[in-house]
Amino acid sequence: MNHLPDFGHALLVTLGISFSGAALGLLLGFTLNALRLAVPGFIAVYRLYVWLVRGTPFLAQLLLIYFGLPVLGVTLDAIEASILALCLYSAAYFAELLRSAWASVPIGQLEAAQVHGLSGIQTFWHIQTPQALAFALPLLGNQVILTIKESAVASIITVPELTMTAGQIVSNTFSYVVPYVLLVLSYWLLTLLVGFAAAALGRRATRYLRG
Amino acid sequence: MDDFGVRFALYWPALLDGALTTLWLCLAGMLLGFVLGVLIYLLGSSRSRGCVAFAGVYVSFFRGTPMLAQLLLLFYLPAGLGMDVPALVAAGLALALNTGAYQSQILRSGFAAIPAGQLEAAAVFSIGRWRTLLHIQLPQVVRLTLPALISELIDVIKVSAVVSVISITDLMRVSQQLVSQTYRPLEVYLVAALFYLALTSLLALLGRQLERRWQARS
Repeated sequence: MNHLPDFGHALLVTLGISFSGAALGLLLGFTLNALRLAVPGFIAVYRLYVWLVRGTPFLAQLLLIYFGLPVLGVTLDAIEASILALCLYSAAYFAELLRSAWASVPIGQLEAAQVHGLSGIQTFWHIQTPQALAFALPLLGNQVILTIKESAVASIITVPELTMTAGQIVSNTFSYVVPYVLLVLSYWLLTLLVGFAAAALGRRATRYLRG
Repeated sequence: MDDFGVRFALYWPALLDGALTTLWLCLAGMLLGFVLGVLIYLLGSSRSRGCVAFAGVYVSFFRGTPMLAQLLLLFYLPAGLGMDVPALVAAGLALALNTGAYQSQILRSGFAAIPAGQLEAAAVFSIGRWRTLLHIQLPQVVRLTLPALISELIDVIKVSAVVSVISITDLMRVSQQLVSQTYRPLEVYLVAALFYLALTSLLALLGRQLERRWQARS
């Protein structure tokens, strides 16, 4: 197996595009959720965005960004396009998760905060955000797993991540079995590890609820 | 804009054709996946430890790996072993195996919602395990989980876009072909995305409609 170094590099590319895509997506999702709460008319934009992203396949979004944006004068290389697509895609799901997390904070706490003279921004940062994020952690971890899985699609626009590298090894060596079995096993291990980490973090973050 | 109208008239028969391929492939995968899902649920809830472990590993594997990697494995592995699997069969099977894992989890909540008394009553009337499943449990499970099953079908349609890589002329593949003919990626991919959006939105609407009607009746 002299292709193992290629595979290691490909794993790093997969991790790189998935985690940067998911991190930017979480940031954008958080912003969308905050704007939804703060700006009265924004809910229409929010709903439109979530509907468009969740109603279409990730592959269609990726091709639109990679091949469609250059028509408008914005040319991205394959890795940049994948990160942007993963960010825009996961943001819609993150925003919906955060919406449900925000709904989990009891309304009485917001009334109490108002009575005690906290401003809207103080309530958002010090009352809602910590509790909502702790509540949402396992769900956010699950969304990171979905983002890692979608990142395999980036192989179609020739990002040298795991799936594309496995395909290259296959066409160089004509051995089908080992590269593709190794491919699915790497993804499986990766998503299991992220799942365990998210569950452990979630338990830690909600420790205060169990006393 | 008038120009676009002319080009759209050129695109849409091909895209409609691709959309129909996507739709029937997904429906076939969904139905086969439903049978698999029931099977996996039954294995997972059986008394045999081996069956439970198998069901657990199956669900973990198909939910923990990308659909694209599963598809490539299913398409190229038999080829590597000297068997020739037609692309359409590989695609349908990959979709079914994948959605089967998700559907087993959806169905589990449906099975759990059926009162145990019904199964005891069926046993008292000496209705066999098989007939209990087909005539008593499944009709109720489907009705209880239909909204979740429709949202799973929407996910299947979205994830099915990757079957284009093994040269199945689904909606995605057709739009890639149109792009290579017209060199207009922006508008072709936008129109293709709108086709997907229409498909998923109509299904979502249908799901909500059914849910409301059944809630009104019960």
